[in-house]
Amino acid sequence: MAQPILELRGMSKNFGMTEALKDFSLEIHPGEIHAVVGENGAGKSTMIKIMTGVYQPSSGEMIMHGERVDFHGTAEAQTRGVAAIYQEPMVFPDLDVAENIFLSHQGLGMFMNWRRTYEDARKLIARLGVALDEDRSANGLTLAEQQTVEIARALSLNVKVLIMDEPTSSLSAHEVEKLMAIARTLRAEGVAIIFISHRLEEVFEVADRVTVLRDGRLISTRLIGDVTADGLISEMVGRDASEFFARSGTQRRDEVALDVRDLTLDGVFSSISFDVKEGEVLCFAGLVGARRTDVALSIFGVAPADSGGIFVGSRKASIRSANDAMKLGIAYVSEDRRKLGLAMTMPVVANATLATLRKYMSKIGILNRSSEIETALKYRKRLNIRTPDVDREVGDLSGGNQQKVMLAKWLDADPRILIFDEPTRGIDVGAKAEVHSIIHDLAKSGVAIIVISSDLPEVLALADRIVVMREGRQMGIFDGETATQEAIIRLATGQSANEASA
Amino acid sequence: MNIAETGVAKSPLQKAVGHLTDWEGFLLAVLLVTIIANASMSDVFLTVNNQINLFQLSIEKIIVALIMTLIIINAEIDLSVASMMGLAACAFGWLFHHDVPIGLAVPIVILIGALGGSFNAFFITVMGLPSLVVTLAMLIGFRGLARVLVEDRGITDFPEWFDALGQQPLIGPFPLALLIFFALLVFFIVVLHFTGFGRYVYMIGNNKEMAVYSGVAVNRIKATLFIASGTISALAGILFAARVGAVRGDVALGFELDIITMVLLGGISIFGGRGTLFGAVFAMLIVLNLRNGMALANITHHLQTGVIGVLLILSVLLPNMRGMIRQFRESRASAKS
Repeated sequence: MAQPILELRGMSKNFGMTEALKDFSLEIHPGEIHAVVGENGAGKSTMIKIMTGVYQPSSGEMIMHGERVDFHGTAEAQTRGVAAIYQEPMVFPDLDVAENIFLSHQGLGMFMNWRRTYEDARKLIARLGVALDEDRSANGLTLAEQQTVEIARALSLNVKVLIMDEPTSSLSAHEVEKLMAIARTLRAEGVAIIFISHRLEEVFEVADRVTVLRDGRLISTRLIGDVTADGLISEMVGRDASEFFARSGTQRRDEVALDVRDLTLDGVFSSISFDVKEGEVLCFAGLVGARRTDVALSIFGVAPADSGGIFVGSRKASIRSANDAMKLGIAYVSEDRRKLGLAMTMPVVANATLATLRKYMSKIGILNRSSEIETALKYRKRLNIRTPDVDREVGDLSGGNQQKVMLAKWLDADPRILIFDEPTRGIDVGAKAEVHSIIHDLAKSGVAIIVISSDLPEVLALADRIVVMREGRQMGIFDGETATQEAIIRLATGQSANEASA
Repeated sequence: MNIAETGVAKSPLQKAVGHLTDWEGFLLAVLLVTIIANASMSDVFLTVNNQINLFQLSIEKIIVALIMTLIIINAEIDLSVASMMGLAACAFGWLFHHDVPIGLAVPIVILIGALGGSFNAFFITVMGLPSLVVTLAMLIGFRGLARVLVEDRGITDFPEWFDALGQQPLIGPFPLALLIFFALLVFFIVVLHFTGFGRYVYMIGNNKEMAVYSGVAVNRIKATLFIASGTISALAGILFAARVGAVRGDVALGFELDIITMVLLGGISIFGGRGTLFGAVFAMLIVLNLRNGMALANITHHLQTGVIGVLLILSVLLPNMRGMIRQFRESRASAKS
């Protein structure tokens, strides 16, 4: 093989006593898509930050074109042709596409040559093979389009190594396809791409080679043809993969817990009808923009529907606020834990008891702190929340553990109907399996569960039944046992609405 | 990964000290230094009279600063407090001049305060307008109303017993206003730090959307705070009238800035969700002692204000540096395996 464009040799990075990377080595070749996989905390972020000059390594060296380099900041990395794009793109909403692309160009002189700027922007976008107007305002771009802008920005800086950090976790299936196409185009031009993703199917689809990181160490680097998904997973977690994503039997009972009839919110969704039985796991599948979350929020009372009926038990319910829903035993675990799920600078214990704070108040409102702590400790044990003490700010915990604190908040409300919105997005395989087993246990105890998920393997592993939505309409309901990914995708993309079977 | 057996891995001593944030610890140190310096500079500083006098000179401000602390932790602001103090004092003077007995005028004025607070609350919660704008409008509105009520004259002919209530000791060496301050201080410490209401105040200040999604009655709590703020400001206005023995249209003019300065100096984040009443109280004491000490040492008012300004900038800088340290810790935690 030709000379690598970027090489890490014996790279270590210590933070105090913690070794985030240990003697890690990696070779990246021009024109390859190199996937790096590993659980959260395996050291991927540290690796990226060293490559982009955010961190300086404690020991080890970085070689570009056979020559040792030391980056002291992202600007320096960029001038050498190393750039990264992230899950949340950095785009300035008040500027247009072209301005955003040429944002970080310094030394352009005192005056902008606007005509040339727009022309160059157009060329860059065309090179990526996508349709995007260079004079559109960045405000209103979809996440995928914002990423395109970021990639174009990197290209304009003559990028040689492009790091994509979890670029697909918030994209719809269609957008993921487009991003993959862009990655392949860049590969054909000789750009080396480091692709980081929790979704192994994407890794298999796009990558040429794959490197597994665990506990800051290099586990393996192999050609994609030489590995299997199960093999990767067990290397990532250091355990056997068979326990993941195994379908377990249904816990469904006969009593209907929630019955939704003809639910409509004008201009958002219409005529949504389904029921969930006690102990059942009902999944909502669909692309981003299918309005699944809006349906959930109307049931939870945050954004009530205009018409239609919601029956809890067998009684018609009037739900106008989250409080109404909670009184009926409905809980909603949001997909956006930062914005809607947790108070990041408050302690774990305060977050865990928020939804049920009344339980911990005396008649005149005084909080019983020891009983609060007892509850937090109970859930720390039950959900395996990794925190040394429950007075720690929840923002200090890892993503998966934050997710569990959010879950504790709702479990403490002892819900009979529990709605999970993307419960495993952005958390690692191990934590994912834990969340799945929690869902399973809840169903076993008779809780009716609704899971909104864009992760089809997850849907197929969890669901007793699957509701497929597309652009605010209910396309069909599948039985979880017999549904296939292909059939769900066909419905979700509107390719054949007629084949739906109940 | 190590998980300690106990939920809270702190000894009682660590807990007592650990409850203070870095900034509050710093404030406490500054306070002690100020007191020691003052005491060494002047023989009268530590006398009971001087200590009480030190509180009395700004007593209305520190009373209102208590409720302001809760409002800012809630990620809101009330700029109308000083104008409400002015309006309350003027309304009180007006009622007094129209032969309303003082025993009736006081509750009426306090009701006016609650009403003014409800006005703020209505626009902020029901209409969803930012409190900065709403209370800025009320700052102008209440003050205008105050000036209309007393026009250009001052009202100074309150009965002697009323002035005495504002100026003379009531129980032991303590005048009424100081007793009210201590009572409210204890009350608000309990409310903010030991009740569910206080927890909600912090949670809303931290993340209002999240609180809505957790079934917290966000609007009710915000409304309660603003009504309380109006009510307490009105009470402070009456206390001001009694202490000074006179009422004019410009009573308490500009006090809102001093009040907010004390609260922010106490380490309460202007973005909400952070800070404690203990910090706010330390800050009040520092401001009072600095001003008193510097006055005893014949340092001009302008220089006093400058010193407080420097402290305020530090109070914003230091917690931010703490945030940067936290970020570093976070990145370290996320890199852990």
